[in-house]
Amino acid sequence: MASPTSDGAPGWIGARLKRKEDERFLYAAGRYVADVRLPGLKDVAFVRSDVAHGRLLGVTKPEGADVFTLADLGPLNDLVAGPEIAEFRTSLYPPLAGDKVRFVGQPVAAVIAATRAEAEDIAAEVLVETEELGAVTDAVAALAPDAPRLHEAWADNAFIAAPVIAGDQDALAAAPVVVRRRLKMNRQATVSLEGRGVVAHYDRRYGELIVHLSTQGAHVMRRGLAEVLGLAENRIRVIAPDVGGGFGGKNRLTPEEIAVCAMALKTGQPLRWIEDRREHLIASLHAREHTYEIALHAEADGTIIGMSGDVYIDAGAYALWPTGAFMEASMAARNLTGPYKARALNLQTYTVATNKAPMGPYRGVARPGACFAIERMVDELAAELGMDPIEIRRRNLITEADLPMRTVGGLSLDTGHYPAALDMACEMIGVDKVRARQKAGEADGRVIGLGIAVYTEQSGHGTSEWMKRKARVVPGHESANVRMHPDGTVDIAVGIQNHGQGLETTLSQIAATELGLHPDAINVRYGDTATTPFGFGTFASRSIVFSGGAVAKGCREVAAKARRIGAALLQVSADDVRIEAGEIVGPAGSVSLAEVARAATLRPEFLPEGEDALLETTVSYEPADSAGVFSYGAHAVVVAVEPLTGAVDLLDYVVAEDCGTVINPLIVDGQIVGGVAQGIGTALYEEIPFDPELGQPLATTFGDYMVPCASEIPDIRIGHLVTPARVTEYGVKGMGEGGAIAPPAAVGNALADAFRQSRAQFLETPFTPRRVSDAVAAADGEGAR
Amino acid sequence: MRPAPFAFARPDGLADALSRLGADDDAMPIAGGQSLLVLLGLRLAGAETLVDVTRIPELCGAREADGAVVFGAATTHAMIEDGKVPDPSRGLMRRVAGRIAYRAVRNRGTIGGSLALSDPAADWCPVLIALGATYDIVSAGGARQVAAEDFADGAYSTVLEPGELIRSITVPVLQEGTRWGHAKHARKTGAFAESIAVVVKRPDGVRAALGATGSHAVLLPSVAEAVASGGDVAAAARADIAMADPDADAYRARCHLATILNAAREVCA
Amino acid sequence: MIDLSFTLNGAPVSQRVEDRTSLADLVREGHGLTGTHVGCEHGACGACTVLVDGEPARSCIVLAAMCEGRAVTTAEGLVDDPVMAELRRQFHDKHALQCGFCTPAMMISARDIIARHGAAAPATIRKELAGQICRCTGYAPIVAAIAAAGAALNPSSDAAAAAPHVAATAAGASDAS
Repeated sequence: MASPTSDGAPGWIGARLKRKEDERFLYAAGRYVADVRLPGLKDVAFVRSDVAHGRLLGVTKPEGADVFTLADLGPLNDLVAGPEIAEFRTSLYPPLAGDKVRFVGQPVAAVIAATRAEAEDIAAEVLVETEELGAVTDAVAALAPDAPRLHEAWADNAFIAAPVIAGDQDALAAAPVVVRRRLKMNRQATVSLEGRGVVAHYDRRYGELIVHLSTQGAHVMRRGLAEVLGLAENRIRVIAPDVGGGFGGKNRLTPEEIAVCAMALKTGQPLRWIEDRREHLIASLHAREHTYEIALHAEADGTIIGMSGDVYIDAGAYALWPTGAFMEASMAARNLTGPYKARALNLQTYTVATNKAPMGPYRGVARPGACFAIERMVDELAAELGMDPIEIRRRNLITEADLPMRTVGGLSLDTGHYPAALDMACEMIGVDKVRARQKAGEADGRVIGLGIAVYTEQSGHGTSEWMKRKARVVPGHESANVRMHPDGTVDIAVGIQNHGQGLETTLSQIAATELGLHPDAINVRYGDTATTPFGFGTFASRSIVFSGGAVAKGCREVAAKARRIGAALLQVSADDVRIEAGEIVGPAGSVSLAEVARAATLRPEFLPEGEDALLETTVSYEPADSAGVFSYGAHAVVVAVEPLTGAVDLLDYVVAEDCGTVINPLIVDGQIVGGVAQGIGTALYEEIPFDPELGQPLATTFGDYMVPCASEIPDIRIGHLVTPARVTEYGVKGMGEGGAIAPPAAVGNALADAFRQSRAQFLETPFTPRRVSDAVAAADGEGAR
Repeated sequence: MRPAPFAFARPDGLADALSRLGADDDAMPIAGGQSLLVLLGLRLAGAETLVDVTRIPELCGAREADGAVVFGAATTHAMIEDGKVPDPSRGLMRRVAGRIAYRAVRNRGTIGGSLALSDPAADWCPVLIALGATYDIVSAGGARQVAAEDFADGAYSTVLEPGELIRSITVPVLQEGTRWGHAKHARKTGAFAESIAVVVKRPDGVRAALGATGSHAVLLPSVAEAVASGGDVAAAARADIAMADPDADAYRARCHLATILNAAREVCA
Repeated sequence: MIDLSFTLNGAPVSQRVEDRTSLADLVREGHGLTGTHVGCEHGACGACTVLVDGEPARSCIVLAAMCEGRAVTTAEGLVDDPVMAELRRQFHDKHALQCGFCTPAMMISARDIIARHGAAAPATIRKELAGQICRCTGYAPIVAAIAAAGAALNPSSDAAAAAPHVAATAAGASDAS
């Protein structure tokens, strides 16, 4: 495949290249943390709180057992987490509980034994005494003056309360149409199929703690471990081997990981903790729980003016290092006007502590909630005004002519054609055909609904945006080390992580494009602080923008030097050569990159005067504008609902999306379909409810926590628009999260559409059969009880 | 998530198994273990000794006998699904088997094990009640027969006494002209059912049963009568549901109504 | 502890194991066969699926002690299997894996679906794949890969001619029902 692309993009950009990382997995030879084998490795099990809120009175260890409490781990440094805002109330999250326990599942003690089973036997014998306190399980009720206080020093249970007020407040107040609703997106887990995991041991070779960690960002986690353990960073090596999914959930440092490292240092023994599924569901980070008590303000003709009201983020008991859940509130609020030409926002946000596991990032971060709120509200407005949901969107969508623009929420939308995405989705789903089918009715009594949701996805945002969020760690750049070996092959070491995104392949495509090589000649390395340059990791749809940009930049530097050396070998000017298919090509001849690389390494006598040896560089990269580049899309879905049972079947699902220039369409489509499946999980299946009085989590296994399977997820049809970004390499935009943003909104709108005659209310995810059935019955006048 | 220690016993035949189960109150029979090992792993259940019953000849395989099929209790769901054993039910049992949990679970889970655990949401209980099955129960002291509808007496509770074991399940062969309907509602494929309804309409009478109640599967006499007479099935269903699952909330009652109506519709189609 | 003699990937093994040891722990911890992944430990995610006497089983809820006299085959033992070779080709071609954690067990289940259903239709594949969780791909590429492998391995069947080689983006009505 010499020139794989047909659309004029250079080199390998846009090639549907099959993934380089597949082979090891297809041969069952992937290597995850649980697969690491060390001599003398022992297993760790945690003793966890079985009460939601209580004072920890004592921990009784069985005689002769290897059991650690917080006091046994020390001395540890405080690891302060959350944004750097004076009003933000910090809450130290100790690796093992200190004076209090604040959620069911919080680690209280840790047991070391020869096997996990034996460690669990001992854990069952550890006696934890607590004085139970009232449990706080609802983020709104948590703010009542008489609510039990999680952190006694605080004035109330809010980590922070912050207004988001912008734009034309007079217009908001004078709006002739105001639609008010209370919407809720419930709490769920991230459910990477591989849970968290850590294997830690002290290695005397370099006098360092070697930590195998299932993480999305080895370098940042090392920083956190160094802080809390009081070790120099060059005395910790974090290795992220193959990581079995992250989705945000592995982008925080968690107490179990810290405890295992501290115990490995204390005991000098190699230790392993592998999170089991129950631990994952109760004590790994949780996601999504937002409540919106909001009003959409509009003109009588359906023109949106803006949004007002309250946004509650149920952040759980603690802030996880580094940033906790504290971009949720501002991201939710700032995205609440969606892709529409709204003029005003007047929101109060509350990020609230409750007796639940700490909230963390999960694919889409805050935007699935915000998209659900605005897109459901737009449909509610349309219903109120008797307008068509598609027409009301066309009237309000930001157009190509409006871009670039700064939204009232302060987002700098860059490029795109939002109405075109809406049109494409409508065309693909066949709106007229669906309407005709609805009219005809179903022989089996099911009811058909059509739902649409439009979203934007901020990606590739850097320093300015993260500073605005007062982040403790500002992921404003990414790095790449590019090294050409004497035979002309290339190793590229990057600071991001690849846990399913196909970055070994896409970064190879970029490098191959810039170096005139085949992607097979490129080897991409990551996930080891000892062998890769500093980087922040893979999250926030940033890797192709940042790491791709760094790889391009580094490869260009190496290519320029290779051209100079090659030109000298060809005895022509560097301006007269180009790099192509593994050769430096001059006017009358060529020399292979391998020859050039040999001169740069093994045979320096061939180097031109004044040229240093080596074809190697380490660079960092940030896009020219760090406000981010915005992917966007429109989802359309057709549902069939059984009114009595509330069973929802997805008959068709289409996505029209634009993520700028596509490096590899195979991988982009894979990310979209996978994201939509997770979004469907949020929309219809996944939820961790809590007993409201006792604070016990009620979905602790996959028997109660529904993860959709192939039988639940339909084929997803995808249409592409391509509007390149202006400030990134090749015009790429990040797109890893987008698929997960719109499904709750689209499915909710489809349900509302199905029952538009009765005006059944679909305002709370997931739309389980029970919720759907109850909503239909309530609208039909039957008590839902 | 590992179970607490227990001993695993491989008995030398039925008598040995029964004597082990009879001698030790903390011994439990285990067949496929597809539910029990989950409960043990979560440490929601405990056992001193697990007695493997899957290699006992009397519990394995199925045979036709006297207008009925006798299923060894250790017959797996997959064997029934795949038709590797005789089917007395004109396809009903094969369909039901194929909708239990997931294939890998069906490969090991057994019909007897499912009945003995008596999970309220279990698939076989309402079906075997509607089919008029009887269970052959053995212990060191002898054997007894129990009708399917008399077997369970609550959630996770049956008439099995300590030391007793289900040896086989006898299902009468459905005659020519018999029709059946089966409907199951669950939150997703393979999940625990919210409601299961089965209606079997023989030339000489109708039996209907409801599963996934708050307690155990039961007969639905009014529904059977309505189906037999061409009466108002919905009204009959409402009356039966109030008896069959008195603690059902409005949603569960709607689920029951839906599965009963769907099963009845399939019978009458 | 209990004596156990069984066949592991074709080789006879005799050993003592703790009675409570799961088959998953036996192959992973005892025999270093780490291609069997543990994703839930309660039989609901499918990542630990292996073959016992040729039939898929959740190795997290099978006791090692139950496997006396049985033949246990893990993903590592199927490297030379022709159906797995075709599945590898198709999984690679259709981008049917991302993080790779579910992949070995997904392929074992896929192999069983092809063994029982030949060139299966996508609707059949989706139903049969219930209980195998993949958190990354959204399943469509996996379904497409299995359909394509089934068709390629059963070239004479009618279903093979009809089996669509659906890419993730290809048109086609939902068959989720």
